Amino acid sequence: MEKFNFRTQVLIRHLQQTTATATAAAISRSPCLSYAPPETSEPPSPFDVSSMRKLMDGHNLVDRDWVFNLMIQSKLFNPKMRGGKVFVVPDYNQSMEQQREITMKRIQYLLDHGVFDGWLTGRGFESEMRKLALLEVIEIFDHSLAIKIGVHFFLWGGAIQFFGTKRHHDKWLSATENYLIKGCFSMTELGHGSNVRGIETVTTYDSKSGEFVINTPCESAQKYWIGGAANHATHTVVFSQLNVDGKNEGVHAFITQIRDADGNICPNIRIADCGHKIGLNGVDNGRIWFDNVRIPRENLLNSVADVSPDGKYLSAIKDPDQRFGAFMAPLTSGRVTIAASAVYSAKISLAIAIRYSLTRRAFSITPDSAEVLLLDYPSHQHRLLPLLAKTYAMSFAANHLKLLYVKRTPQLIKTLHVVSSSFKAILTWHNMRTLQECREACGGQGLKTENRIGQLKGEFDVQSTFEGDNNVLMQQVSKALLGEYLAAKKRNKPFKDLGLDHMNKSCPTIPLQLTASTVRSVQFQNDILCLRERDLLNHFAAQVSKYQAQGESKESAVIASYRLAEDLGRAFSDRAIFQTFVEAENNVTDVPLKNILSVLRSMYVLVTLDEDAAFLRYGYLTVENAETVRKEVANLCSEMRPHALALVTSFGIPDAFLSPIAFDWIAANSWSPEQD
Amino acid sequence: MASTHEQTTDQVLVEEKSSARIFTMNRPKQLNALSAAMVSRLLDLFLACAGDSSVKLIILKGKGRAFCAGGDVAAVVHDINQGNWKRGADYFRKEFTMNYVMATYSKPQVSILNGIVMGGGGGASIHGRFRIATENSLFAMPETALGLFPDVGASYFLSRLPGFFGEYAGLTGTRLDGPEMLACGLATHFVRSEKLQLLEAALVKADSSVPAVISSIIDEFSEIPDLKRNSAYHRLNIINKCFSRRTVEEIISALEREADEKKDDFITSTIQSLKKASPTSLKISLRSIREGRLQGIGNCLAREFRMVCHVLRGEISKDFVEGCRAILLDKDKNPKWDPSRLESISDEMVDRYFSKMNEDDWEELQLPVGSNLLPYAVAKL
Repeated sequence: MEKFNFRTQVLIRHLQQTTATATAAAISRSPCLSYAPPETSEPPSPFDVSSMRKLMDGHNLVDRDWVFNLMIQSKLFNPKMRGGKVFVVPDYNQSMEQQREITMKRIQYLLDHGVFDGWLTGRGFESEMRKLALLEVIEIFDHSLAIKIGVHFFLWGGAIQFFGTKRHHDKWLSATENYLIKGCFSMTELGHGSNVRGIETVTTYDSKSGEFVINTPCESAQKYWIGGAANHATHTVVFSQLNVDGKNEGVHAFITQIRDADGNICPNIRIADCGHKIGLNGVDNGRIWFDNVRIPRENLLNSVADVSPDGKYLSAIKDPDQRFGAFMAPLTSGRVTIAASAVYSAKISLAIAIRYSLTRRAFSITPDSAEVLLLDYPSHQHRLLPLLAKTYAMSFAANHLKLLYVKRTPQLIKTLHVVSSSFKAILTWHNMRTLQECREACGGQGLKTENRIGQLKGEFDVQSTFEGDNNVLMQQVSKALLGEYLAAKKRNKPFKDLGLDHMNKSCPTIPLQLTASTVRSVQFQNDILCLRERDLLNHFAAQVSKYQAQGESKESAVIASYRLAEDLGRAFSDRAIFQTFVEAENNVTDVPLKNILSVLRSMYVLVTLDEDAAFLRYGYLTVENAETVRKEVANLCSEMRPHALALVTSFGIPDAFLSPIAFDWIAANSWSPEQD
Repeated sequence: MASTHEQTTDQVLVEEKSSARIFTMNRPKQLNALSAAMVSRLLDLFLACAGDSSVKLIILKGKGRAFCAGGDVAAVVHDINQGNWKRGADYFRKEFTMNYVMATYSKPQVSILNGIVMGGGGGASIHGRFRIATENSLFAMPETALGLFPDVGASYFLSRLPGFFGEYAGLTGTRLDGPEMLACGLATHFVRSEKLQLLEAALVKADSSVPAVISSIIDEFSEIPDLKRNSAYHRLNIINKCFSRRTVEEIISALEREADEKKDDFITSTIQSLKKASPTSLKISLRSIREGRLQGIGNCLAREFRMVCHVLRGEISKDFVEGCRAILLDKDKNPKWDPSRLESISDEMVDRYFSKMNEDDWEELQLPVGSNLLPYAVAKL
């Protein structure tokens, strides 16, 4: 049988080679347009692309390449030949059911090859960083695959790790790492998403039997969007109000089995499908109802609070606000991975769109001249290159955030919460904007699923909503800044957290007449970003206190000041991202790398100044200075133009994970008798 | 100089038959090992024919019992021992350029692999469109046993073999026969050697550049041979399972776990080959193949050129000189590798092989672009 298969393979290979090359040869004799790869037409890069990739990816490059290799070499990852190159990209034309099943098979393949080794049983910096790196690589292939894995390891596994104690760790971590069980994370309900404290699922303790009883009291309490629940998950961590002796102790987490080993739904559990979605159809999101499900007392994840066998509620953290905060910790890991993956999605789309723009021509300037390369149009440069610079900046921001998360200490929890909220929102919004621009920049080709960008819009849109709605997260950022402000003023102490120490210095002044060289200096860039943050924070605090003086509660005052809050959230984020860029740049000694990084940094800041009306609205820039900034953005576009190819190559995304239009799109679209 | 030139031309015989050009590597005593002169000559010939519209097809073969047994590493080691590693680097620069030209050649190259195909011999053939194996073919990339790594663009073509067979072939240096070459895709056809003359005549007569035409002519003479019973290719499952591991250490322990489960000569000899090879070579070879799978041919060769320069300069390890001494010169087959253990080779040491050389007059490999070359290598495996 094996021999027979082998023979057929050889024959098929011969046949395919014969037919494909015959037609290709026949047509290539009379080419109208010919494809020249940008590598042969673009100037050589003055900086070392592999060093830049090291800086971008930051860590675990060999491990990343290993997982890329594993995916490329397996038929499960749907390799397709286009224009003489292999591309691996999921078949999004499969039905939702097929996508879910293939996603599960891909997980099994990665599991068999040891990709998840140490993801929950490993400890320490190295294994944390490795896990983050591998998840990013998986995400480059398919968002569904990464989310399905993320739910199992980061949400379910993370809940066990963070909320559980030794008995839970011993029982579940290794079993989870090996997929002996499949976990999901039941937090969101139909009626409550971002406002977790308002969830309506109720768990009561029955001291007679020593069990908890979980119940879904009404339709709005059904668990909703639970990834993994519709088809595969066997266990879930349920978030629920805990009722002990008639007293509500707030939100707690419990382990419940929802399916047996054969996949049958357990008694008193009802599960329905969330159905087809605009993306992420490889994830089986489901809805769960609990009909007085009884679980042993030990299934309460009791690191924060416990219930004694006789029904006494015990917690070391007396303040319910703090207790709730402790429960939210695993969501930070979600925000960290989301922020990082948003940057990789933007990188994929920019690499494709920029490579295409270096090979696709449109219109001639004079009737008999050659048509012009898309990226030689200043307008096209202005569409893509600022986004490229921002993606570099946000790549440094994501690396910074990952380190902040992995090296977190109790003192840094607040910073981590604020920075992860800010970066998650800003980076995912940036990704969606980049995807749309890149999609349009590829014209009609951007509409083909095989070219990835258009599909990524659907696949990644969810990022602005899950693990905290972006707008809600940004409000939390400005609220936290206000908190810092009020605390500092009240105690008359200097600012020290959240990067606000610049508020202790005297207010920076912006020169009345900005020059090109000034606007490119780190000093100016830092000054204007700090000035905006400082001024907006003062404004915001003043407005809130004004409303309070008029009799409003603090909460209503904050809600009413939403526009300042939005501007302030942006200001904090831009300043924080900028500082991660400067920090990364300062660690580089290689001169050619430093040179291009400084161009990218200037582009990042200046395009931010150009785009955000706040700088004019609040007078940080005069109209003349705004014009200087705008001119400099155009200059920076032309300076970046010769490096565009090397800058996207430095993203380190293997050719196979880009798309046919990033390479020989004529060969990829040439006539072949077997179209698939 | 005249005599050198004469010698050079002798080392590659050229026949013009209608629109075909037949190049025969002609150093049979050295098993057609590629001397610097041969590489230069072949490169010149390929470039000249690329621009010559009267040439439609190139046939490359070897005189005697070898197609080509590899690069002339003895000469390179001599250069290194003379303190002139840069001359060795020049040799590789030219050889890799030739590999690139072959990979992006717009006219079909038919390589007749009727004998030994090793190292540089693989580089001179596998990048071409058609590779004809025979019952006499013997293929290997044996560099890890020499303290080198599979170069000549092998990180490109080995990584494109099915599953993780490329890691297996590249790390162990295992020998493959004609049927195995066909099975894994290193060869595109298998033709019995007694039919080669007729095949050559038919190719010449075809007077065509169209790959499909050439392919169908070769098909007439080719067959699908049986794989030998104990062929490594039958063991693809176990190869995939073990050689897909992340590191060399993990590959070896995966193999050892298999060996513990049941006695298996294939696994035993695989482990033996790995233990005999230079530990540094194994580590950089694995990294090279893994990176090669993600890169185009041009990047593969440029990276391999960086690596080979580090190997020749010998700052990180001198295993290449030692390997050549033990295998090719003194022939005691007992190289003393330094570092001698995989565990003593840090990731940073491996990284250095992939970094730019910090030498004033050193240049990266610059690959030729020309209207007669394809802009990229068409996947051939």
